[in-house]
Amino acid sequence: MSDKPQTLVEHLQAFIDDTLTRCTRCGKCYEACPMTKYGEGLQNADAKHVVSGVIDWLQQKPGNAQSVSWLKVCTQSAKCIDACPKGINAMKMVRVAQMSAMGSLGVPAEQAALSGRDAKDFFRVINAFSQTQMTSQQVQKWQR
Amino acid sequence: MNATEKITFWYGCNAVRHGDIIHGAIALLEAVGVEVTPAGGAGYCCGTSKDANLRAAEGMGQRTVKKFNAHGTGKVVSWCPSCYRHMNGFMGEYTQPQFELSHFTQLLHARRDVLAQKLTRRVERKVMLHRHFGFHEVDVNPLVEDLLRLVPGITLLEGGTAAPGHMCSALSRVPASLKDVTRGLCDDAAACGADTVATVFHSCQRLLCGLEASEPFRVVNYVSLLTESMGLTFADDYKAWKLAGSEDEVIAKVGEERIAAIGENLFRESILPELMRRPSK
Repeated sequence: MSDKPQTLVEHLQAFIDDTLTRCTRCGKCYEACPMTKYGEGLQNADAKHVVSGVIDWLQQKPGNAQSVSWLKVCTQSAKCIDACPKGINAMKMVRVAQMSAMGSLGVPAEQAALSGRDAKDFFRVINAFSQTQMTSQQVQKWQR
Repeated sequence: MNATEKITFWYGCNAVRHGDIIHGAIALLEAVGVEVTPAGGAGYCCGTSKDANLRAAEGMGQRTVKKFNAHGTGKVVSWCPSCYRHMNGFMGEYTQPQFELSHFTQLLHARRDVLAQKLTRRVERKVMLHRHFGFHEVDVNPLVEDLLRLVPGITLLEGGTAAPGHMCSALSRVPASLKDVTRGLCDDAAACGADTVATVFHSCQRLLCGLEASEPFRVVNYVSLLTESMGLTFADDYKAWKLAGSEDEVIAKVGEERIAAIGENLFRESILPELMRRPSK
């Protein structure tokens, strides 16, 4: 039997624990982000303050408003990964904080600051386009 | 990899809008001597869009890994960077994958000597590659540039600013950034004299192909340029529908039979509005 986590949430908790141990809130990840200019209230934001808010989300506590703005504009550019002096996958840190801000990891629904990313009718639309681009045999064989 | 290798080709969910890319990619893999088991669509979703529902995401991840294990190929070759990222960073962390994961560009690039022998037709185009810098796991841009250089007739132009994110769909959550990238792309294409902008990923093709209605260049996925040089043609229906113009013209091009198969309500509520949207810059 593998000693890997058995569930997604177990894995996320292990990732969070490791991040909380190593992150010094230095703000280098935020400073490396090419998307901050698009975030509301992020002009001249203090990087350490923003990252502290992200860390709050990882601890299942609502983070500050500027952390929410940053979470909203992350497009997974990955620049933050190389910027971290502690070797944390900061892109994944932000993604997990987004999950928390959606209420997926224990933050009460009324305190959630982000909505989910899956579009209305997502899978119905996927199935519909499949029908237009593949034969029924291909759909049956490749997608079931 | 040896010449008779079997792989699972994981094309993902959203790429199904672009059958030309999927069928073209399969043709390229077969051309370099790989036996392909295609897999994708909702039944093989990685769950990356389910961050607000981790139980659903976990179930999707477990199901998809089990199905790949059952294929028994031992190798999954991903098309979509989101799927690749989600498998490496999340799904693979709590499941028991019995396969290696690689990216389509890596496999094709590794067999580029074989591919080059199949690229016999000239494709006379001045091509600028539309690049993103966010797919840090695999540096796809130089791999694709090398592949395009194999095509006789293509002039690969220097220029073009790499965009944030791993592909354009990531930017669509921040509309102002997608607008900036689109405008920059048009400016760069004009500056370097491109008649063709080559996309790397399906979502860039989806979100940028509508530019052909207003810009003096074509938007083509690099797979289509490679297959064209092999003498194979896979029609980009999605782009044709996007460029049709009015709702009536879109409906005429999609066709009543396909609309009936999709369902009239779903088509009108979700698909037609998407096909009518133009890139903003």
